[in-house]
Amino acid sequence: MATYSGRIERASPTLPAWLGPWLSRERLAPVISGLIILATWQIVVSTQLPDFVARPIGIVLAIPSTVASQEFWLDVLMTLGSISEGVAIGSAAGIVVGVAMGRVREIDWFLSTYIRALYALPLIALVPIVILWVGYQPSARLVIVIISVFLPVAVTTADGTRAISTDYLDVGKMFGARTYHVWFGIALPSAMPHIVAGIELGFARGITNAIAVEVLASVPGMGMSVFTKSNELNENASMVYVVCLAIFAVSVRSGMTRFRHWLTPWYRNA
Amino acid sequence: MRALNKTELNASARGKASFAARVNRFRAANARLIQIACYASSILLLIVAWQALGHSFGVLFVPFTEAMYRLWDMLINGPLLPALWVSGELYLVTLAFNIAIGVTVGLLLARIKLISAAFEPYIYILYATPTISLVPFVSVLFGFEFWPRVLVAVLISIFPILISVTEGARSIPRQHLDVAAIFGSNERQLWRDVIVPYVMPFAMSGIKQSIALSMAGTLVAEFFLNPDGIAAVLLQGTTIVDSGWVLAVTIFIAAIAVALVGVGELVERYLVRWRRTAVG
Repeated sequence: MATYSGRIERASPTLPAWLGPWLSRERLAPVISGLIILATWQIVVSTQLPDFVARPIGIVLAIPSTVASQEFWLDVLMTLGSISEGVAIGSAAGIVVGVAMGRVREIDWFLSTYIRALYALPLIALVPIVILWVGYQPSARLVIVIISVFLPVAVTTADGTRAISTDYLDVGKMFGARTYHVWFGIALPSAMPHIVAGIELGFARGITNAIAVEVLASVPGMGMSVFTKSNELNENASMVYVVCLAIFAVSVRSGMTRFRHWLTPWYRNA
Repeated sequence: MRALNKTELNASARGKASFAARVNRFRAANARLIQIACYASSILLLIVAWQALGHSFGVLFVPFTEAMYRLWDMLINGPLLPALWVSGELYLVTLAFNIAIGVTVGLLLARIKLISAAFEPYIYILYATPTISLVPFVSVLFGFEFWPRVLVAVLISIFPILISVTEGARSIPRQHLDVAAIFGSNERQLWRDVIVPYVMPFAMSGIKQSIALSMAGTLVAEFFLNPDGIAAVLLQGTTIVDSGWVLAVTIFIAAIAVALVGVGELVERYLVRWRRTAVG
């Protein structure tokens, strides 16, 4: 008994109560490891490598001048605007096609060859042909984002609407549901977690592919600026853009995950 | 008047219902046939539409037959096979790194709490960050040669297998570990008898994804770090505005991608056949 109580006492925090939750091992570990990563980066770069290579302090110092420029906000507006537009169009189209594929076998059979082939293909391989057709234009970026979102949304929506429990369908039939009731009243809501997961995946791919198009087609935007700033040996400013892209991507991901949990709390682990 | 309407309505409803029922019966009875017809007609429709569009668009969109001829020509005496060799090497190295690092780090993250607490947030951030935007930084640090390419390709394609293994190792039921402890397993036995067999299907589904994804990583690395391999061939077609060239290479890449997905599924099915139901 003595040993047990001794252990418990040693394990319990001796810090002030309000500080306790902030200084637990789980909370401190990422902070310390982050500091170690940043410090290593800073030291290695500033001792071993030429001046233009990005380093944490340099990036922080480059933030004000980068963020103050009009060019930065134009880039942000163009890239994020194009991505949002593409996500909206792509997910709407994906949901409609996905529900049709999930509910009508023939449509599924008709389209599945192409959807599967395109889903397997790394979409970056489509960038050159899209550039060729659309031109070295911002619309090439939009087209690629739409495709990147459409495919996962169509696939997950089809999977979700195909797998509806027959209980729902039977109840619907009993109450005289028509086809569009089944599609949009039963199938679509029950496939919601799948659809949101598809949009989440599509969003992530859309961001990556939008940047790829910007660089390959010289379309002005954040991705393009990452590369041009780096070519101008202004690596720190380039990394400011990368950090902004990372913040955007992380917040989109966690936002979508939260949205999915809020929408369907019972699927928390799905 | 009213009665007549009602009768009409009933009749039409009955007619509709029986028509729908007949359609459904036909669909059920001839499912196999309809399936084949759907596949065939969709492929046929694409080819016909492509051919027709190709003849009306000219330079920017060559007809199907022309694209196929170009593909054949480029395979026999063109740049495709040598490029495939270059890309294939990068692909295999990337895949090997993905599997080795993904499984090791995944297990470490799952089994050692401190490591996961310390590094998981950064892995998550790195995963969400569009890796392409890190390419300039990588090229400044390491150059444009083979190993920087491997680094970029691995950064793009490692996360699914890493996450799959971590999740798998984390979901080992408490009871399994307890039983091992009761029978006095040491650490080595615990890994051999409990952890590795349990994590295997998760690792396999990660490897399946990795087989397909490593190709995306390879392409990105080749596109952005001093074009080389298949990606360079593809870009060459864009530069000379030759749609036949670009379409042929795109189809070639798509065929490889579909084949790789198929290989991934086969590998997974073969290696985890004993517990397919457990993972779903």
